[in-house]
Order: sequence, then C-alpha cells, then structure tokens
Amino acid sequence: MSDLDDFKATYFDECSELMNELEEQFAAIEGGERDADRLNAVFRAIHSIKGGAGAFGFSALVGFAHAYETLLDYVRDGRVEMTDDVVNLCIRANDIVGDHINAAQSGEELDADYGQEEKQRFDAIARGQRGDEDEWSGDIIEEFDIEFTPVRVELSVGDEEAVEAEAAPEPDTFDAPPMPLEPGHWEVRFTPYRQLYSRANDPLLLFRELAALGEISVRAILTDIPALSDFEPFGVYCSWEISLFAPDLSEAAIREVFEFVDGDCSIEVVPLGHTMLPAAAPIPAPVAAVPPAKADENLMALTEDEVAAAPVRLVVDTPSVPVAEKPVAQEPVAQEPVADEPALSFADLANEISASAPPRPVPVAAPKAVVAPKPAASGEGGEEGGNRSVGVQSIRVDLDKVDRVVNMVSELVITQSMLTQQMDENLRARYTELVRGLEVLAQTTRGLQDSVMAIRAQPVKSVFSRMPRLVRELATKTGKKIKLETIGENTEIDKTVIEQLSDPLTHMIRNSADHGIEDPEKRKARGKPDIGTIRLSAEQAGGNILIIVEDDGNGINRERVLQLARDKGLVAPDITPTDEQIDQLIFAPGFSTADAVSDISGRGVGMDVVLSNIKKIGGSVHVRSWSGKGSRVTLRLPLTLAVLDVMLVKVGESPYVVPLSSIVETMQCSGAIFERVPSGGQVLQVRGEYVQVIDVAQRFGMHSNKAPDDRFVVLCESEGSQKVALVVDDIIGQQQVVIKSLEENFEQVDGIAGGTILGDGNVALIVDVQGLRVHQIHQNAA
Amino acid sequence: MEALSLREDNGDKTAVAGQNTLQLIAFSIGDQTYGVEITTVREIRAWNGATPLPNTRDFVRGVINLRGTIVPIFDLRARFGDGQTSPTKNHVVVVMSVGDKWVGILVDAVSDILTVSREDIHNVPEGNAIDTELLNGIITHDSRMVGLIDLHAVVNGAKLDG
Repeated sequence: MSDLDDFKATYFDECSELMNELEEQFAAIEGGERDADRLNAVFRAIHSIKGGAGAFGFSALVGFAHAYETLLDYVRDGRVEMTDDVVNLCIRANDIVGDHINAAQSGEELDADYGQEEKQRFDAIARGQRGDEDEWSGDIIEEFDIEFTPVRVELSVGDEEAVEAEAAPEPDTFDAPPMPLEPGHWEVRFTPYRQLYSRANDPLLLFRELAALGEISVRAILTDIPALSDFEPFGVYCSWEISLFAPDLSEAAIREVFEFVDGDCSIEVVPLGHTMLPAAAPIPAPVAAVPPAKADENLMALTEDEVAAAPVRLVVDTPSVPVAEKPVAQEPVAQEPVADEPALSFADLANEISASAPPRPVPVAAPKAVVAPKPAASGEGGEEGGNRSVGVQSIRVDLDKVDRVVNMVSELVITQSMLTQQMDENLRARYTELVRGLEVLAQTTRGLQDSVMAIRAQPVKSVFSRMPRLVRELATKTGKKIKLETIGENTEIDKTVIEQLSDPLTHMIRNSADHGIEDPEKRKARGKPDIGTIRLSAEQAGGNILIIVEDDGNGINRERVLQLARDKGLVAPDITPTDEQIDQLIFAPGFSTADAVSDISGRGVGMDVVLSNIKKIGGSVHVRSWSGKGSRVTLRLPLTLAVLDVMLVKVGESPYVVPLSSIVETMQCSGAIFERVPSGGQVLQVRGEYVQVIDVAQRFGMHSNKAPDDRFVVLCESEGSQKVALVVDDIIGQQQVVIKSLEENFEQVDGIAGGTILGDGNVALIVDVQGLRVHQIHQNAA
Repeated sequence: MEALSLREDNGDKTAVAGQNTLQLIAFSIGDQTYGVEITTVREIRAWNGATPLPNTRDFVRGVINLRGTIVPIFDLRARFGDGQTSPTKNHVVVVMSVGDKWVGILVDAVSDILTVSREDIHNVPEGNAIDTELLNGIITHDSRMVGLIDLHAVVNGAKLDG
C-alpha cells in the first residue's frame, strides 16, 4: 500500500465522519436551530471535504462542493436567507456530496449531470441575491481556492536533465554577474539535512523570517536531487542560497533565525563586504523549492510563465521572493531506503558547492564566516529534539489489530475460567496462595476484557445517521410524508455488531415506509396526523442492546399474511397459528405481502435478511403489530460478539451450549409436568403457563441413554416472551465461550447458531433456540 | 495428537513435481487406494473424535477444533456409500483446503506419497454416477488402481435437506 492510498483511506474516513457531522448539524437546523455555529460547522465540513477532494483530483466532487460552499457562504453572510427551501436543498446537497464521495471511493463514475440540477439551483439562489448575471457558476473548478498549493517545479534548460536523467550535476550558477556590493549584504547558505521535514520544519517559514529582516533573494540548489527511483518523498534534497540585504544586521541575528533548525541543517553566513549588488534590482532568479515528485507531466511541461499564471496561491508576503511550498502529499516514488546512500557530509557539500560555483563574489579574505557545522548529533534519535510533543487525543488503529487483541483476551478469559474450574476443594485447601493468585488473575482478565471491548464499542449513531437520508428518499419515492425520530443514538455497541446493523435497519425502515406508513389521505381518514412517524431507538437492557424500529402505520395485515403463508405452504391448512406466530412469518424467506414489487420493497428478501443478519451475530428479532395503529420490530443484540456466557449441557454424548441470556430457569424432568397435545408433541406446564417442549436429542437425531426422569428441562425465553422448554440429558455448568463460525469451513446448520471450543479442546455446538422453535412450528405444520 | 510421519516412496525420493508430474498423498479405505494432490493437504492427524453435527448427512462425522477454528470432518467411506467408518486411534484425518475452506476427511490409513505423470491419469469409466461424481481420474501405480478424489464433490451436499 502506498502512502497515497493511506492518505486516501484517511481522507475517506474523515469524509464519513464529516458526513455524519453534516447529518447531525442539519438535523438540528431542520429542527429550527439556525444559529451561526451550526452553519459554520456545516461550512467547515464541506470545505474540508472539498479541500481533500481537490488534493486527490476528484474534480466532480470539488465542483459540486464548491457550488454548495458558495451558497453556504452567502447564507453565512446573510445574503441568502435560510428558508426551509434552502435547508431542504442543502440536505439534498449533502446526499449528493455523499454520493460523490462514495463514487470517488469506489472508483465509479457518476453521471456527468448528476447534481447539476441542484447546482443550478444554488446558482439561481445566489444570483438572485447578487442581481447580476455573472458567470461565476460557470467553470467553477478553475477558480476554486483550495488550500493545497500545487507543487511548483522550475524547469530551466539543463536542470531538467539533471533532475530526470541523473546526469552529472550541472553546476548551479548565479546568473547575476559579480558586482561590487555595499556593506550590509550577506550571503546565507542553508543546507538542510535530509530529515528536516520530518522534524516539522519548513524552510519557507525561515525565509519569511529572513525576509522580515531585510531584502532577500533566494535561490535553490537543485543539483542533489536524485533520480526518481532513489527519491525519498519526505527527504530534503535541495539547499538554498539566500542573499540578504540588511544594512545594520549582525551575523548573530541572522543565525538566530535558524535557531530552531539547529542540528537539522548546516548554515553558512558570509558577509559580502566589498562587492555591491544594486539593491533595487534583486536577483529575479526563480525559486524552485520542491524537487519533482512523481513526474507529473502536465506540471513538468509548464513553462515558467504558465506556472506563474496557474491558480497557485503563493503564500509568501515578500514580493521579490516567490517561494514554492514544500510538497504536501506526494506520491512516494522511492523504492530504496535512503539510508543505503552514503550520508552527505556537510563538508563534502560545501566543497562541492564552492568547487562547482564559478568565481564567486566572496573574497578570500572574508572574515571567518564559515562556521563549522554542528554535528548532526540528534541523528535519527527522535524525541530529545523535544519539538514534537503534541497532545494526542485519539489515534486511528486498524481494526484488525484490535481484533487480534480481542481474540487473545477472549482466549485468556476462557483459559482462566478453565483453570478456576480445575480447582477442586482439595486443591483449594492445599494451595491457598495459588487460589488467591487465580482470583486476582480472574479479576485482571475481566478488567482487561472490559477495556478491550470498550475500545471497540461505538455509538450506534454511526448507523443511525445514515437513516435520515434513507427516509427522505423513501418519502420522495412513495409520495408519503414520513418523519424519522431517533432516540438513544449514543448507546454504544461493539463495532462488529454495528457493522452488521446497517442492512437490517435499512430493510426494516424500508418496510415501515413502504408497507407500514399509509398515504397522507388514508392517514387523515383514519384520524392520524398526515405525517407518518418512524421511530428508531437504541437502549441497553442488561447484557443486550435493543434496537427498536416502530412506526405508526397500518400494522401487519395478519389475514393477508396467513393467507399468503398458506398459499406458499408455510403453514398447513389445518393449523391456526397465534397472532404472534403470524407476525413472525414475515421473516420467512421469499415472503412478501406487497401486491406488486416496487423498487423499494416487495421482492420478499427484506425481512429474511434482517433475521439472518441478526441471527448471525447472536441476536434475535421480534415483531409486534397493532392493526391499524402500527408495528414494532425489536432487535435484541449481544453487547459484544467476542465472548458469550453460556450454559454447558449434554445432548446424547455431545456437549452443547445454550446462551445464558436466553435461559429463564432449569429444572429436573422428574419434577416437571408434561402434557400431550393433539399434534403428538408435548407441552410443559410452568406456573400455569403452557410451554412448547423440544427434545433436543430427538430433534438432532441422537439417542439419549438416560431415563426420562433423569433428564433436565432448560426453559428458554425466545423473542416476545414466548418460552420454549428444551429437554437435554445433562447440565454441566456455566462457562464463557468464544463464538466460532461454522460457516468459515462448512455451512450453516439448522438449529445450530455456531460452535465454540471448550477448555478440553473439544468443539461444542451452540443451540439456536429461536431457530429450533421456528423449525418446530414448520414441522408441526407440515 | 501426533502427526503421522509420512513414508516416502523410495523410488521418487529426489523427484520434484514438475510441469508434467503430480504428487499425490495416497490413502486407503478398506483395500482400495485413493489419492489427493499433495498441495491441497494441510495436515495429517490421528482420529481423536469429533463433535457430531446434527441435521447433516451421515458422511459428515462432525467438527473438530483445529487450532482454534472449527473444521468439519467427512467420512470418505460413508461418502462412497459403504456405511460409516468405525474409527479407532489408528484412523487418520487428512486436513485439506478446498477452495477457501479447510475440511478433514476420515480415511483408514495414509500409505504413500506418489509421483505420477499427468499423462497417466485415465478417465473414470462412465457407468456409476458416484464414481464419476467423486473421482477426477484413475491412476495406475504398482499395477494397482488409485482413484483421484474430487474434493469439491466430496464436500458438496453435506446438509440434510428438509
């Protein structure tokens, strides 16, 4: 991966943060908070996006963002009023910016006229304020003033060869003929060592400071620029000669300017006492401070005039010293570490300069001016320079690295719990110190685990913030009026869970908008407000996170669902499912209640995706519906995917685990009351409630060697407080396990949610309680 | 679990699999010999039990823990329709990569590493669908037949339908 890719990745990371920020700001603006702070935040975000886009050459994005930014600027100035229309246009514009970013990221091309309409509306609004017909909206790209200064390359004849072909370094000569100088002229030779930039120094700043002392003229020595293949992008390859005219200046004052780069460069200060340079005519030698990065043909081909005419904002105040900036984000070209090269000694360099320079206006009798270079003692050393102690607030870490730590900590927790289990009473009595040690270890590992999990936890905001846009689009497409409310968006969940949330949420909201919320007329007729509401909320409930999507629409049409289910053979004609069972049917694959397939939904893949995605991450889905009043889909998600508290049971001879979070109670079969039902199945009576019984051994086609009374009932609560009783052969105990995927090397198996590895190295399978129950319904129905 | 050391085929000790040759790991089921290309084999280990997987066909013997990942084990004898193997400690699991997945197959014993020429691979005689489905070809080695296993076919259809 090249550095440029790194930069790009960072840019896109930032873009997604900025887009979230925009979404947030506009949520507030839409809500009526139209103060300047919010507008400024919006402006900043768009400006940052545009700036980065300019640097990477995403011209479509730059063009659009620029037009948008101009509008924002007018709004900020008060020239354009922030009406609802403008707000809506801006929200639409955000979406377009987002699309441009996505397109740039994936390398796709958007339609050339994408966003043109909006752009023209920006223009119209802005023009309306200006009252003239400026063509400012025309070719925007030409005038944008992004803050990335293009690299300037000087291409005088001869130099080009030196640069490109690594020809023998051509002596760089002063163009100006030697002339007599009046006192007060200094010549400063500034030769940075290669690491100058990495110490956060910038020659430009030094030159500015020098320029403040007097009249200066700077020229760059480019002879040391290596061939592209040897070029290290962040290395400094040029040195500079500065002629300074300042009548009453001491050498010390000049040296003071270079105080901060001490050790990173060598400085020669030579007074030019006896020769004279007409002060009125500073050497017009153009300055090329920057070695060409990857040969940018266009840039290289520019003549000097063109360079000057190009839209470069030079940041130098001194009129006579055009100085280009140091490279901003260059494509790295270096294939070989520069460390392989012999280090350039200052003396060599100085010799070379003097040797290559033609007769120079420096008298031999010049006062002792050549100061011995400071040894580059600080070398690659690093911190002792002390100039880089930035307060770091946050760091970006590759998720893979965090995951590795998480996995290891998970294994550690399990090993620790295994060790603890090995301690029987006997051992405990004998090795009290060991026991104490194990207890401390247990605490520490728990703490370690919590801390690691906290690293991965993220607010659900990152997913929720994508939904307003979806709702807007759905509202436009369906012609309905829909409002989205979000609650609890700061609830934190493991990042891996969050990633799995986006698709299910999209489907659920689509479903609500398409099937749930009614047309405005219909809503009015029913006495509801004409704007339908979809509420998206997140809350923590024990070891789970609940994500709830509610709407105040029509609710599920149960008759129709049941009819369709019967038609598709999902429910046998002689079975009458409960309302709750009917509601769950919408999760069956291929099931759709829509009469016609619209481009929003109706293909019958939506809710199926929700269920499978959520199940994959160990969560469950529950639907409730109130006819004519609305529906609610609840996702119950684990806080983390890494470690699961389970109960270890035995079915036949095999170990199985049941997630502890779904277990209500356990009991011995001998004390349980079973009843038969007409289907041939059994139900369990628990405190007056009848619960469906699933004999796990039977369901899994295994033989149980135990007498029926010696077996155990594990009463589980699946979604919607619907209980199910699993009959297992033995209960072994509680444990923490790491969930492993079966699908990694095999495929999904009915009734099994995954696998895990026990302390003894054997694999135990995780029972998919909900899956067993749903399967049972189908089996009974069949 | 000790890995079995493989006895090298004496005649081919220095042979390197070139363009036209193929190295196979040969293993036996009953008195029949089969082979898979050596490059697909990741590991050979003694049978040490597996956790049975419900709702799968009888040739899926279950899953094992291979250094922290779960790997399914296929009983090759059962896959050929000869009934399940009754594995002992002397039975062997050959762990192989099939596509991006790792699977183990349960065989009676690993016998040899064979170097054969690609030209010596014969087509499977048409006739029995199981043969043509599960074998990629037939090789004669030491005047005995070695069936070249099609791993993808072996793994397919493991799930119990309906």
